[in-house]
Amino acid sequence: MGSRASTLLRDEEIEEIKKETGFSHSQITRLYSRFTSLDKGENGTLSREDFQRIPELAINPLGDRIINAFFPEGEDQVNFRGFMRTLAHFRPIEDNEKSKNAAVSEPLNSRTNKLMFAFRLYDLDRDDKISRDELLQVLRMMVGVNISDDQLGSIADRTIQEADTNGDNSISFNEFIKVLEKVDVEQKMSIRFLH
Amino acid sequence: MTMCEPRAARRSAAGPPLTGFVCVLLLVCVSVASASLDVGNNETRRTAAAETAEDPHHPTNSTGLKKAFPVLALNYDYVRKPFEIALWILLALLMKLGFHIIPRVSNVVPESCLLIGVGLLVGGIIRAIREEAPVLNTELFFLYLLPPIILDAGYFLPIRAFTENMGTILVFAVVGTLWNAFFIGGMIFGVCQIEGAQLAGVDLLSCLLFGTIVSAVDPVAVLAVFEEIHINELLYILVFGESLLNDAVTVVLYHLFEEFSHAGTVTVADAFLGIACFFVVSLGGIMVGAIYGLLGAFTSRFTSHTRVIEPLFVFLYSYMAYLSAEVFHLSGIMSLIACGVTMRPYVEANVSHKSYTTIKYFMKMWSSVSETLIFIFLGVSTVAGPHAWNWTFVILTVVLCLVSRVLGVIGLTYIINKFRIVKLTKKDQFIMAYGGLRGAIAFSLGFLLTDDNEMKSMFLTAIITVIFFTVIVQGMTIRPLVELLAVKRKNESKGSINEEIHTQFLDHLLTGIEDVCGHYGHHHWKDKLNRFNKTYVKRWLIAGERSTEPQLISFYNKMEMKQAMMLVESGSAARPPTHASSVSMQNIQPRESARGRAIPSISKSREQEIRKVLRGHLQNTRQRLRSYSRHDLLVDPFEDHVSEVRFRKQRVEMERRHRVYTYDDGESPRGRAAQPRPGPADGVSLVSESPPGLGARGPDQEQEVQEEKEEQEEQDQLKLSRCLSDPGPNHNKEEEE
Repeated sequence: MGSRASTLLRDEEIEEIKKETGFSHSQITRLYSRFTSLDKGENGTLSREDFQRIPELAINPLGDRIINAFFPEGEDQVNFRGFMRTLAHFRPIEDNEKSKNAAVSEPLNSRTNKLMFAFRLYDLDRDDKISRDELLQVLRMMVGVNISDDQLGSIADRTIQEADTNGDNSISFNEFIKVLEKVDVEQKMSIRFLH
Repeated sequence: MTMCEPRAARRSAAGPPLTGFVCVLLLVCVSVASASLDVGNNETRRTAAAETAEDPHHPTNSTGLKKAFPVLALNYDYVRKPFEIALWILLALLMKLGFHIIPRVSNVVPESCLLIGVGLLVGGIIRAIREEAPVLNTELFFLYLLPPIILDAGYFLPIRAFTENMGTILVFAVVGTLWNAFFIGGMIFGVCQIEGAQLAGVDLLSCLLFGTIVSAVDPVAVLAVFEEIHINELLYILVFGESLLNDAVTVVLYHLFEEFSHAGTVTVADAFLGIACFFVVSLGGIMVGAIYGLLGAFTSRFTSHTRVIEPLFVFLYSYMAYLSAEVFHLSGIMSLIACGVTMRPYVEANVSHKSYTTIKYFMKMWSSVSETLIFIFLGVSTVAGPHAWNWTFVILTVVLCLVSRVLGVIGLTYIINKFRIVKLTKKDQFIMAYGGLRGAIAFSLGFLLTDDNEMKSMFLTAIITVIFFTVIVQGMTIRPLVELLAVKRKNESKGSINEEIHTQFLDHLLTGIEDVCGHYGHHHWKDKLNRFNKTYVKRWLIAGERSTEPQLISFYNKMEMKQAMMLVESGSAARPPTHASSVSMQNIQPRESARGRAIPSISKSREQEIRKVLRGHLQNTRQRLRSYSRHDLLVDPFEDHVSEVRFRKQRVEMERRHRVYTYDDGESPRGRAAQPRPGPADGVSLVSESPPGLGARGPDQEQEVQEEKEEQEEQDQLKLSRCLSDPGPNHNKEEEE
């Protein structure tokens, strides 16, 4: 499986992905083999059904949203580049990257980009605001069916009231960042991809 | 140490330092009196007591001489032991009290140093009178003084931080302690061989034994010092976690070397047995603790009718866990920690609010007393103990301890950083190395050495010197160093619902991503554990409907209760508090202006729900407050603002008003109109923002609005607790009840 995977993935591609996402060679190869194992149709792209076949994702409250996050706007298939681009958000931030000058475009796994990824999972209609409804939907998914809408409503109200600084009754991206400033996002949103 | 912040206000108002000194002198006199009382007067008292003891037992005097009936008799012997114990504890606490009256000293010197100083003073005075001083013997320390401190630390351990850094902590605890023990033991042996004849008698095994004793970082000392400097959570948990988990290593090594220092030689087979022993000791200890923890949680499920004894279960099960582990020479500390950690989530879901407060306060009280006593006794034992001062040995020990700690931390961090997501910086490493304090455990282990070991006195002296050096010198200088290096401090943020929601959200997200990658990491296993906990364990261990309550909801209820209590005491109950921090008011006001909804969007059925909830919740409310710092009860915002008396008064008033309501509701004509509509439908109409829905309800609500406006002012109290209304899970159950 491993050898088959690396012959299908050309070296130039690996280099490009490396540059774009910052993953190492071995990490890319390993993730490629995972990609191909998920790709039952063997056409080099993944569809939503391929993702839904992962059993743990089915019981994850945010499963659908996570799957959707992999697919670019309006498309139904994601190739390996797109797959890696999404996963790059979860790469741990390295020390040497922190000192990169501002001229270089921000790497995909910077703190802001990580938070933007999470924000987009809340903000489905992409209006750069988490409205009360969107928050309610997420709460409902996380809490289950036993809690009344009333109570969820008051939780959502309380949440917005805490975070909202400009009074528009929704959470903008900056307010989102501000609320999470005490949370160690670099650690919380990173996966240790084994070398 | 416990009350540094609020006392700060009082300190400035306190009298001149002279008063403080006089107080301390007075206390010292009391202590000396107590010490001399038990020993010095025994001779005279015993005879007198014997005589007088005869009288109550033998009213008819057999000697024939009829003594006058004693109006006042002295029988000290009868109460001697408890009297002494109580007096010592009283002394310790008065000392603690005394220090906080003296303003400047407590700022510079950590409390542990002051207590050791007092112990030295008392010990010196006792020795001057040539009496026998009580010594910190091993049994007293390990069985009575240590468990409360460990239980307190374990019960309030910040689990999230602990599990996230578990790997690092384990590496430091196991590998670090092994390194320390062997390095110190080996180097001392080497130097002893080179040195003059006086040290030649120290063989390798004795040296290694000594190295083991002196190498372990002590949880008591770490807690005592780190509590006062409020360092950030990561460093705290790393050093403290290490001090807890290295107990297993210390126990195994200690027994190993002590056995073999009698036998003389160590073979390879013994080394393997030692490794196996380590796993047995640590895993066995954890298992024993977990079993008792589950038992305790299960017991707490049934205590709803006997709330008064609930706290005792927690304490007794934990203590039994400790003792049971000690029976088998397993690691008692790890057992105690495992018990506390296992028990806590279930017990907190089951016990009443008052029991929770009792548990928390009693634990902190006991651990505080224990800590004070330990340090004082350490001082007294220093003066009393057999000493053999050997300049080379002592200086060597102190230097080696420092050096090995620094080398160990640097070396291990280099390796660990390869595996950590958030690397440890040089500053972190420095604090970790500097925070490796030795304490009373080392002393007690040294004391435990059998007397035939002629090096015992020399070892004890060296151990005491190391302890004094680390606690006094390092303890005093760590605070200015922390400020100098600008190490990140603990962020004193109150719980925020945003953080909770987003943290859970991120947990789910990361679990999902890990599943996509096929990578079974930290989140995956945590998620599996949570799921297992929710489906199987909670049902058995948590009473009633709380077993199905999602974590988010409990968190939210806690917060709202806290907020409601704050509002109750701060504003007058009749009007809604006008200051901006009132949450539920803001909930309603801006919404009404933004969407044109009537203020009292509480319909009749909601009112009923609110009342029902209040009736239930007001008795059963609990506060769960994050408290990372053991003694820092004042992070609790509730206690910041409220004095007990005021709160009780307000609460009584609130209940009275509430009772007036339930009475009124039946009488008022509107009561008839109130039909309990089904919950969800009601909820949907409140929540939905669709204009047609709003318009349809508009005229309907208008009339109710007018009628309710008068009630509103009195009902504001209830509205504050609107957030408490939990008609969902409790609604049907309460109706059944």
